[in-house]
Amino acid sequence: MKKRISILISTIMILSILVSGCSSSSNKQNTSSKNTTNTNKKVTIKLSTWAGADESKQLQSIIDKLNANSKDYVIEQNSNPADYDTRITTQLSAGDGGPDLFWVSAQRATQLAAQGALLDITDYLSKSSNKAANVSDYYENALAPFKYQNKIYGLPWAENPVVLYINKDMFDKAKIPYPDGTWNWDKFLSVAQQLTVDANGKHPGEAGFDKNNIKQWGFTLNGWPPVQMFVWQNNGEVITPDFKSSPIDTPEAKKAFEFYSELINSPAVPSQQTIKDQGFDTMFKNQEVAMFMGGAADSLETQVKFNCGVYEVPSGPTGKKVTFGDLYGMAINAKTKNPDAVFKAFIDLTNAIQEWKVVPPLKSEVNVDALKKLHSDRSTETLDTIVKSMSYAEGFRYFVNYPDWDNIFWNQLMDPIINNKANPDTLIPKVKPQLDNVLKQYSSK
Amino acid sequence: MEQYIGTTERWLLTPVVLMFLALIIYFLLRKIGWKVRAATGFALISPWLIGFIIFTAFPLIYSLYLSFTNYSLFGTPKWIGLKNYIYIFTSDYEFWPSVRLTLLYAVFTVPIGVIGSLLIAMLLNNRIKGIGVFRTIYYLPAVMPDVAVALIWRWLFNSQSGLINYALSPFLKLFHIGKIDWFGDPKYVLWAFIIMSVWGIFGTNTVVFLAGLQGVPRSLYEVADLDGASPWIKFWNITIPQISPVILLQVVMGIISALQIFTVAMFVRPTTGAGIFMNQLIYNRGFTQLHMGQASAIAWVLFLIILAFTLLVFKSTPAWVHYEGEIKR
Repeated sequence: MKKRISILISTIMILSILVSGCSSSSNKQNTSSKNTTNTNKKVTIKLSTWAGADESKQLQSIIDKLNANSKDYVIEQNSNPADYDTRITTQLSAGDGGPDLFWVSAQRATQLAAQGALLDITDYLSKSSNKAANVSDYYENALAPFKYQNKIYGLPWAENPVVLYINKDMFDKAKIPYPDGTWNWDKFLSVAQQLTVDANGKHPGEAGFDKNNIKQWGFTLNGWPPVQMFVWQNNGEVITPDFKSSPIDTPEAKKAFEFYSELINSPAVPSQQTIKDQGFDTMFKNQEVAMFMGGAADSLETQVKFNCGVYEVPSGPTGKKVTFGDLYGMAINAKTKNPDAVFKAFIDLTNAIQEWKVVPPLKSEVNVDALKKLHSDRSTETLDTIVKSMSYAEGFRYFVNYPDWDNIFWNQLMDPIINNKANPDTLIPKVKPQLDNVLKQYSSK
Repeated sequence: MEQYIGTTERWLLTPVVLMFLALIIYFLLRKIGWKVRAATGFALISPWLIGFIIFTAFPLIYSLYLSFTNYSLFGTPKWIGLKNYIYIFTSDYEFWPSVRLTLLYAVFTVPIGVIGSLLIAMLLNNRIKGIGVFRTIYYLPAVMPDVAVALIWRWLFNSQSGLINYALSPFLKLFHIGKIDWFGDPKYVLWAFIIMSVWGIFGTNTVVFLAGLQGVPRSLYEVADLDGASPWIKFWNITIPQISPVILLQVVMGIISALQIFTVAMFVRPTTGAGIFMNQLIYNRGFTQLHMGQASAIAWVLFLIILAFTLLVFKSTPAWVHYEGEIKR
C-alpha cells in the first residue's frame, strides 16, 4: 500500500516537472519570436483604451484595416472605460505587464512621463515619414502636456474645444438674434435671462417672476465649463507660465470667479440640485435649457430633435476670445519589449484616429474643407465655428503634481462656490496659499 | 483559442505545484522530527499559509514600510522617516475632516445597525406560518451587489422626484425647509449615508442574530414563565445576556465595516464639502495623486483607529458579555 502511494506521488511529480518545463520553454519561444521583428510572424501589440461599447466597435474597424495592411504588427484592442486611469497606472507600475500602447488623458500623460513610465518617442518621430509624426504641425498647446523636459512622450489624437450649442427654436420664439461672434459676458448673461421663462411666461427681472416655478432656463453650468476658461477670457491665469504661483487673487481672475458664481446663482441657470436630478446635457436635449457649452466632439446638434446651432463661446469683457480645449492622446509603455514595432503601430493608429475624431490637433487639418471631407454629418457653419474655436483654444497647465493642485482648487474653491453658494472673494485668500504651496514644492524639485 | 491555453496550463499547474510544495513541507517537517499528525496538518494548510503570506501578510508589512517613504508607484520608494505622518497630522487639509466624517458615521451607524438587526431577528424568531419566506426575504439584501444598491439609493435620494424627500415633505413644510439636496449640501451628506446604512441591518447581520436567538435554551424562558416574568424582563434578563457574545461580534464587525465605508461613497460621489471618508482619501491619495507613501500612512492611522475601538470594546466585555459556563468573579 505504502509503496503504491509513493509510486503515485513520484508519477505526479514527474508529470508536474514535465508540464512546467514544457510551458516555460514554449513561453521562451514566444518572446524570442517577438524580439525579432524581421521574421514573417507579426508582433502582437496590446492596446488599452477607455472607449465604450460603440466607440470600441468603430475603433476595431480602424484597427482591422491597419492590421491587414501592416507587415509588422497585430494590434489587439482592450477597451474598458471603468476606472481607466487607475487601471492603466497600476498596470504600468507593476512588473512587466500592462499594455504596449494606450490612450492617455493630457493630465495623466504629464504625470506618467515625469515618472518615466512612457517611452521617449522624440527620435522615432524625427525619423518617421508618417503625417502624424510631423511635430511642427501640432498646435503648441496640444503637444505641451505630452512633453517633459523637451522630450516627447506621446501624441494627442484629438482636441475637444468648448463651443456654445443653442436651441434655435427657443431663440426664434423669443425673437432673439443668434450669436454673431461679438457676444461678451454681459450680453451672454442678458440673453440667458431673456431665454429664462417661468410658468406664467415671465422673465427674471420682471414683476411677478416666480423663481420657484421656472419652466425654461437660459443656460446651465455645474463646474463645467471650467472656470479657467472665464479667467483666461479676462486676461487672468490660475497657474503662471513659469509654474511658480497661482494668481487667482488678481482683479482679472477675481472678476472671472465672481462672474462664474453669478451664473451659478442666477435664475437663468437651474439649481445644482435640479441639474443633478434631471441630467446636465439631458436638460438641453429635452429643451429645458436654451444654451449649453459642450465639447465640439459631442456633436449635440446631430443628436437632438430641435433646430440646434453651434457657435463660439462668448468673449471676455475686453473682447478676448479663449476657449478650453480638452486633449486626448496615446502613449507607449516604457517597458514594451518591441519599441520599433510598437512605434509603427502607434503612429499609424494615431494618424487613423486623427482622421476619425473631432478635432484633429493638427494645424494643416483644421480648416473647413479638410474637416468637411472627414465629417460630412456636420454643417459648414458648425465646422467654421470649430475651426475658429481651435485657433484660440487653451488647455490646463498640467505639471507632475497637478492632481494635488486640482484637488485643492476643486474641493476648497470650486465645490463650495458651486454647491454651497460660497463667495469667491472670501475663499480666494484662503485657497491661494495652499495652491502656491503645491507649486512651490513642484518647482523646488 | 490560443490565449486560453496559457491560462488553462497555469490553472492546472497551480494545484500541482501547491501539492508538490505541501509534500516537500511534509517531508522536511518529518526530517526534523515532527510527529506525523503535526507534519500532515502543516503540509495540508500550507497552500493557504503561502497564499496568506504572499497576498496578505507581505502587502501589510510592505504598506507599513511604504508609509515611511516617498513613493509614487513608479521608481523606488525613498525613505523619509515620519514625514508622511507629520504631514497628514499637521498640514493636510483633508485628513482631519475625513477622520471626523468617518468617526461620526461609525458612531451613528453601529448602534443603529446592531439594535436594528436584533429587532428584525427577534421578529423573524417567531413561530408563525411562512416564517421561512420572511427569513429569505430579509436575507436578500446580503446577495445584492453594493453598486446596484447604491444606484437605487441615489434614486431614492433624488431631491425632486425621490421617495425620501416625498415622504419627508410634510415635515419639511412644517419647518419651512425646501427640498433637501442630500448629496449636494454638506449639511446632509452624513445623514444621507446614515440613512443608507439602515440597509445593512438586514441580511447577514440579522441571520447571525437569528442564529444566536435560536441558541437560547427554551427552558430558561419556561422557568421565567412559571415565575410570571413579563416579556420585557425575559428579554432583558434572559435574551440579552444569552446572546451577548453575538452582540459583541456584531459590534466589533460593525465598527470595522463602518470605518471602512468605501464602495457606496465612491459610487454616490457626494459634494466634498463635508469631507470624504478615510478609505476614499486613501484611494485618491494613492491612485489619483500618486502619493502611495501618504496613502499608506493614512491607511495605518485608520488601522490604529479601528484597533483602538476594537480593544476598547473588548476591554468592556467583562461588564456585559456572558459566556456559557463562565463563573462571575
